[in-house]
Amino acid sequence: MAEPAPSRAVSRPVSEALLNEKWDRCLSNLIIKSTLGLGFGVVFSVLLFKRRAWPALVGVGFGAGRAYEECNYSLKQAARDIKKQA
Amino acid sequence: MLRTSLRSVRALGNRPAAAAAGRQWQVSAARRAVVSGQRSYADNKKPADQAKLPASETLTAPSTAPPPPRQTETVASSTIPPENAPLTPPAPGPAVTSETAAKTTPPAPPPTPRKKKGFFRRLRNYILTLTLLSALAFGGGVWYSRINDNFHDFFTEYVPYGEQAVLYLEELDFKKRFPNVASRVTGRRPDGEQVKIPAQSGASWRVADGSESAGRQSSAIQKEAVTKAAKTKGEPAVVTEAKKETATLPRAEATTNEAELQKPVPAPVEKKPKPEPAPTPTPTPAPVPVVPAAEPAPAPAPASAPAKQPFKAPEVDEPSRWPPASPIDPLAVPDAAEPVVQDLVHMLNDIITVINHDGASEKYAATIGKAKDELSKVGGKIRDLKTAVEQDAAKQVRQRVDDFDRAANELVSRLEAVMTAQEQQFRREFEAEAARLRQSYDSKVRLIQERERQLAEAKLGNQLLEQAIQLQRQFARDVQQQVEEERDGRLGKLQELSAAVASLEQLAAGWNNVIDANLRTQQLHVAVEAVRASLEDARHPRPFVRELVALKEIAAQDPVVDAAIASIPPAAYQRGVSTPAELVDRFRRVAAEVRKAALLPDDAGVASHASSYVLSKVLFRKQGLAAGDDVESVLTRAQTFLEEGDLDNAAREMNGLSGWAKTLSRDWLAEVRKVLEVRQALEVIQTEARLQSLKVE
Repeated sequence: MAEPAPSRAVSRPVSEALLNEKWDRCLSNLIIKSTLGLGFGVVFSVLLFKRRAWPALVGVGFGAGRAYEECNYSLKQAARDIKKQA
Repeated sequence: MLRTSLRSVRALGNRPAAAAAGRQWQVSAARRAVVSGQRSYADNKKPADQAKLPASETLTAPSTAPPPPRQTETVASSTIPPENAPLTPPAPGPAVTSETAAKTTPPAPPPTPRKKKGFFRRLRNYILTLTLLSALAFGGGVWYSRINDNFHDFFTEYVPYGEQAVLYLEELDFKKRFPNVASRVTGRRPDGEQVKIPAQSGASWRVADGSESAGRQSSAIQKEAVTKAAKTKGEPAVVTEAKKETATLPRAEATTNEAELQKPVPAPVEKKPKPEPAPTPTPTPAPVPVVPAAEPAPAPAPASAPAKQPFKAPEVDEPSRWPPASPIDPLAVPDAAEPVVQDLVHMLNDIITVINHDGASEKYAATIGKAKDELSKVGGKIRDLKTAVEQDAAKQVRQRVDDFDRAANELVSRLEAVMTAQEQQFRREFEAEAARLRQSYDSKVRLIQERERQLAEAKLGNQLLEQAIQLQRQFARDVQQQVEEERDGRLGKLQELSAAVASLEQLAAGWNNVIDANLRTQQLHVAVEAVRASLEDARHPRPFVRELVALKEIAAQDPVVDAAIASIPPAAYQRGVSTPAELVDRFRRVAAEVRKAALLPDDAGVASHASSYVLSKVLFRKQGLAAGDDVESVLTRAQTFLEEGDLDNAAREMNGLSGWAKTLSRDWLAEVRKVLEVRQALEVIQTEARLQSLKVE
């Protein structure tokens, strides 16, 4: 058990963890993208928009939307691969 | 545009303004605008045409202002518009117009007739000039085509009636140049003219038929001559007649030839008088001297006499008074059979005919007479020569025949003597030869008899020898047979013994084999058990390579065992296989994940995944062997099978999934499959081991 476990982790995830891994990736992506968007929004709001709240919200929205789209794409791609294998 | 706008303005505006503008603008345009009150384009063609029509006015520049009467005239012509548009009553305009209208009403009609007249005149002029020009061109073409050949070709080919015209002209020219040619060419004689034939030409009015000779003369030559005459109608009649005569006369002589052959001498005598009467130029009695001359030849004389008499009798009234000629009689030679003489006679006769018809018989009569004499003499000489030669030849032939007869007799007698002598000699030789042959045959017969006797003796000796050898061989065989019978009795017993020993040895060896096989099968059983134990004992998967290697060694190339071991995937014995407990544990995890993805649609995005995750939490769980193809029931069934320990069926159920569910359970399935394969292989090996042990017993 001690021997095969690391090799598995390195090579590829267990099949039942495929979906979970995708979810993890999506969530991390969501956090990163929305944070980035928030950052840009804050900077813009400070520099251009007299510290209004909406630029920051818009930035978050952009980031989250981007992440959502990527996640959607990856899931659909996976589904397509499965179909192709079948 | 500018004009139209101006015009429209003018139409709307008052009269003076229109009149003022009218000076600048073309009258008709203004009038039209006033009349209809319509807008029209500046490039309307009609007014321009009307303006151009009078040829006399083209001298004035177009820019010059139109003459006042014109303007007034136009106003007059536009008498209706004032009625239509009473809103514009300018005082000076109408006044002027009424005045001018009164003045110019007479000139108003002229333009239309003039126009019509002009048109017709123009048309007439146009046609006239056209016809004149074309006539001129045609005439010029005809004239030039007579000068230039190239143009002639072109003109006659492309211009209608050009060819006829040119031809006609050429013919006229030709006739003018040669007025007589036309009549000559046509070959027709003018009706009034008469053909005059000179009296001396020898032509007579008589038809050159010669019908009088048809009945009297039966020779074929006559007919030929008639046909020839028919053919040569173009010739003068006299010539044909003369030819007829020449044709008849030799024939007559030929008939008389046979009769005259016996008396060749009188022929020349008879001929001699002929030349004498011939030269007499008496017109009518010409035939009279001929008749006595021809008396010896009875047939031709009457023929010629009547032939000439009808000729003369009607002649008295006719214009031609001259007889054709007083002919020299043609030559008749009795020796005409000779070809040379015949040729000569012909020649002479031809000459005579020519002379006869030339009317010069008097001139040449003496000469011809001499020639005839000579000819007849020559004929006589030739005949004499012939007879002399014939007699000579006959004599010689008779002498030769006699000589031959004598020689033949001598030859026959000599041959007979020689033959008798030869016959006697042959007989003697034959007898001698027969005696010699008899002797030689006798000696040969004796020799053959002696040789046959010797041969028979030798054969007898050989037979005796063969019998002796056969007897000896039989004796040897008998001895050998007896010896072998004795020996076989003992050797057979020895062989039996050795066979028995060998079978004993085999038995012993067989038992050894049996023991060995037993051992091996036992070892096989042990090894299989070891593998099984290693699989089942372990809490954790553990490689069982060593056990498998041992098993393979013990199996010792058993094909079944080898195949079974080969069917186990290498990953299984290198890493070991998971235990049932582990499989069940893992199945629980996999089932949870699969449940989450149980409600996914075909092409799922984030939203559908999230909804499936959420909804799967509220799904009811099934129990036992649930019926149905949905993911939940499949999972429930697989779990039930697993709890019963039926790995095979559980794997089958999970294999029936599809899509995300199958992808998620892929690794678990692979694991289960591995375990099953190992189990199957071990079962096969165990069965084989049992079979081996059974075989041994």
